[in-house]
Formats: sequence, C-alpha cells, structure tokens
Amino acid sequence: MSRQTEDRASLEVLDFNARGASAATAQKHYGEALLQAAQADDRIVCLTADLTLPTETDLFRDQLPERFHQVGIAEANMIGIAGGLARSGEIPFVHSFCVFATRRCYDQIAMQVAYPRANVKIVGVIPGLTTLLGVSHQAIDDIALMRALPNMTVIEPSSPDQVRASVAAIARHEGPVYLRLKRADGTEVVGDPASDFTIGKMRVLREGQQGLIVACGMMVYIARSAADALSRDGIEMTVVDMATIKPLDPALVELARRMPLVVTAENHSIIGGLGSAVAEMLMENDVPSKFRRLGVRDTFAEGGTTAFLFEKYGLSANALVATIRQALAQPAP
Amino acid sequence: MNTDTSRERQPAARNRDPADLARIARSLRRHVIALVAPTGQGYVQQGLGAADLFAVLYFAEMRLDPADPQWPDRDRFLLSTAHNTAIFYATLAARGIVERDLVDQYCQDGSVFEVNASERVGTAIEATLGSLGQGLSVGIGMALAARRRGSQSRVYVVLGDGELQEGQLWEAALYAGSAGLSNLCLIIDYNSMQVEGHIDKVVSVAPVAEKFAAFGWAAEEIDGHDIPALLTALEEARGRDRPTCLVATTTAGKGVPSLEGILAHNLKLPAEVAAEAMAALADAEERP
Repeated sequence: MSRQTEDRASLEVLDFNARGASAATAQKHYGEALLQAAQADDRIVCLTADLTLPTETDLFRDQLPERFHQVGIAEANMIGIAGGLARSGEIPFVHSFCVFATRRCYDQIAMQVAYPRANVKIVGVIPGLTTLLGVSHQAIDDIALMRALPNMTVIEPSSPDQVRASVAAIARHEGPVYLRLKRADGTEVVGDPASDFTIGKMRVLREGQQGLIVACGMMVYIARSAADALSRDGIEMTVVDMATIKPLDPALVELARRMPLVVTAENHSIIGGLGSAVAEMLMENDVPSKFRRLGVRDTFAEGGTTAFLFEKYGLSANALVATIRQALAQPAP
Repeated sequence: MNTDTSRERQPAARNRDPADLARIARSLRRHVIALVAPTGQGYVQQGLGAADLFAVLYFAEMRLDPADPQWPDRDRFLLSTAHNTAIFYATLAARGIVERDLVDQYCQDGSVFEVNASERVGTAIEATLGSLGQGLSVGIGMALAARRRGSQSRVYVVLGDGELQEGQLWEAALYAGSAGLSNLCLIIDYNSMQVEGHIDKVVSVAPVAEKFAAFGWAAEEIDGHDIPALLTALEEARGRDRPTCLVATTTAGKGVPSLEGILAHNLKLPAEVAAEAMAALADAEERP
C-alpha cells in the first residue's frame, strides 16, 4: 500500500444520513434482532439494494452469507425476487430507505407481496423528515401507501426495545409487513424492558383526563415531552404509542371516547397516515371528541437536521403543546 | 442406483416425439379458439403463436406432478405476460393440472380463470403477473431458493417481446447474469406484436440475444415453431453455468392460415372465423 493510500484509508467515511461519529458506533438494534431471528429460523433470508450498512444488515451478511442477497440498486427487482423467494417457502426481509422500499416499487409490492399475502417483510429506514439529502429521500407518504394495500401490516416502533421486539414478532407473523425504522444514530436510549410489543396492540404510556395523544415512531418521544410540559401547567394528557398503524388497535375507540380531545402525531404527511387511520376509526365509531393532527401538512420539505426540520414543519414538542392548548381553548362543538 | 426418488421423479413420461408434440400443440390451439370465440375476450393471436412453446415446455421439458402440485422440487413456470391465458389455461387443462370444465368457465363472472392469470386460480398459477416486467424477478427469487435447497428444480419464464420495454426486466436480467443463475431459463415470445402494433413501430427492442449475452446470459435466437430445435435448446440450457435466454420468433395466429401474421392485440372471433379456424386445426386423421 502506498503512503498516500494508507493516509486515505484512514479518512472517515460517512454518508449524508449518518451524522457524526456516533452513528458509526451506534448499537445495531435492528441488525442484531434480525440476525437473532434468522439464527432461530432457517427460512429467513436478507436482501438489500446497495444499502447494507445503513440498514444494519452487515451483521447478517457477515454471519449468514449464504442467506444474504445483494441485489444492487434495483428495488423493483428486489421486491420481485422477494416474492419468488417467499413463494418457495423462504421469509425474505428486504431493506432500503423508506422512500425506495415503498414508493419506488409500489406496483411490485402490490402484486408480488400484498395480493398473494407473501411472507415478505419490507424494512425501510430514514422515515419522514430525517435526512440531509432532501426531498428525494424524504418518506412522507410511505405509511399512507403501505396502509392502502390489502393484507399489509404497518409497524413503526418508537424505541430500541420495540425495534427488537417488533422484529421478533414480525418474523413469527405469517404475511406481509412494512416496518418503518428511524435510523440508529447512537443517541438511542435503551428503554425499560417493560416496553413490550404485540402486533396490533397499543401501549398507554401515561394517563390523563384532559386529552389523548396518539403517536408513532419518533413522535412518541416528542409526545411524552409535550405531555410533561403540559403537566407542569396542570394539563394531564394520556399518551398512546401506536406502533402498529395497521391494523389499528380497536381498543383506541373506548379510550378516545372518554377524552375531550384527540391529537395524533406522526413524522409523515397528515394525509393517509396515522392521523387518517385514527380519524377513520373514531368517526366510524361515533367518537365525538375534538380532533387534531400533527404531521407534515401536505407539503414537500427540504434537507436539514431533524431538529431543524421538525421545528420548521411543526413536528416539535412545542408545536404539539401549542396545538393542544389551542384546541382545549376552543369551545366544544 | 440413485435411491433419492424425489430428485428423479418424473411423474409423467416426458414426451419428446416432435410429431406428438405438434399434435398436442394443435389440440391446444383448438382449445384457444373454443375459449375465446364465445366470449370475444382473450388473446387469440398470441395464444396460437405460443402453442408450440407451451406444448414443448409442459409435455417435454418441465418436471412436475399434477397429482402433487406443491411438490417442492417441481419445475416452475411463470407467464410474465399473464394475459396470454387462453393458451396457458388450455395447457394446464391438457396436462391435467386444472379441470377442463372449470377452464371452460373462462371469463365468466365469478370464474377464477380471468383474462389475466392470478393466484386466485390456486397453486397451478405460481405467481400473479401481468403487470408487465415482473416475471423475471419472481423467477430469480424461485431460482435462488431452489439453489439454496440444493434442488434440481428449474425455473422457466416466458416474456413477451414488448415486455422488454419495461425497465425492471433489465434490472432482473442484469442480476440473473451476475448471479450465474444456471437453473433459470427465459423464453422471449417474439411475436412482434404489442397493443399499438408492430414492436419496431413502437419502440424497437432488437437485437435481444445480443443484449442478454452482454448481460452474462447464454442467448440464442430460435424458431418458436421448430419443435426439435426447441427441445435441443432447452436440453442444452440445462447443462450451462449461466442463465439461458431463448429468443423464440413466433407467428401471430400460427396454425390458422387466415389468421397467420395478423398483428391484432385483441382479436374478436366471429362464429364463421372460429369454425374455419377449428377446421384448419383439425388433426390430419380427423379430416374428411
């Protein structure tokens, strides 16, 4: 190796979605859970479209190379291959960024995964407004798209424990799943082991009588922060972690019925995602509460840090607090 | 002696006699006419054109067991242009994989035998295709799974030439060549016809064999009605370390002189044309 190459080999290699050194050393909760599931079930295979490191599938690649398929930059082909593998009895986990794992190959997912109820797990990272790359990499409609597909289960975990538990659960679940994951960046706090996960079951994280916040993914942390802030002023909110967006837990109906206000919070467009799902269920069950949605308001955003984008597009704890205060201040209908 | 019977199972003796296969193809063509004429729905020209390919694949080449449709080591067949179903269903019925009576409900409301073949039919249809460009990718998945199982199962995908205009097909071709999928055999039904007319007047895809060869495949052009040549080409494909692509030139409406060469994507069959077609397709021994 020449002196120059040696020097260059020491340069840090980063991508635009792994910010700072902490991302490089982040614990791979998803990758570890997937490997663990695969070691327990020989049918599990792993596919990636040139995004092995960002999807944490390097662990799988290194441990189970004969079950790892690098398909290159070709997501539509990847979904088709997964459909063929599943019809031959394997359980493919396919990986890409949320945008490319869903929007880019929607018809392929509909025909090769959802319609035949193929046992394929579609795993996307970089949800919503969490990318420096900008609009091309922003997944603000992936929940809406996947939710619209018959037979599809849609899950967005909110914590490392839930990520691990959801991987174990979807590996056991027979049928198509879309798993939407925040990319690990090293800032994750390993939560309490009590944060259990069952597909289709919501978790009530705190209880209060003045309103209900239903959140998923990264917005669960923000919902808790907002509820803490409101609590300091004597406004007590119930906070629900709705990790399974489809099928939505019907227990939400009775919980919401007791609340003067229901607010949904998602790192996604307000159209077609968690807020839409909750609204549909509550309306169809004659729940008369006030209703508000927090999310990206029918617009494309731009590249930026998550904190900046969440503040600018109204996904911050401050925005959630303001939404709740405003709604509570308005006279009931 | 090999005691692994599952590997050697060939439930029905493969018929490799070209004259027999030609007779089978003629009978399949008659069924195509019988299916399409009453409803006016379906793909006559494509079905007549592909009948020799189907006869060779289902009666000579593929290892399958109509009594055990889920036999894991069966060969897989994927019709990526899933709308060419009259010939597909006729073949499945003739091979004893689906019931002829049910096939004859083709296109009736409630029948699982829709214009586009889907998994509604059941295990006889390996995958729901017809949204064009997807079949080769699914075939790759099946070929990879067979390779991991150490199965001798082979995967046969039939594409339409117009389908080569779909980008996903080239993603799949690139991957299959790169992965050296020797248990994958692609047959391009090159009938030169797409919805808007002759393929060269829409978007030319030629030369196809050269394109696949450049992608790492063994590719050759072949007459899609030359049964001995098809038998040989499929036999040779089995011995390779690479995927094989057969560019099979077919004639729309083959077997019915008055229909041959008419590039009509959706051809209706008036009763008198259907009767004329049936007469043209009658076996020599049935002729007066």
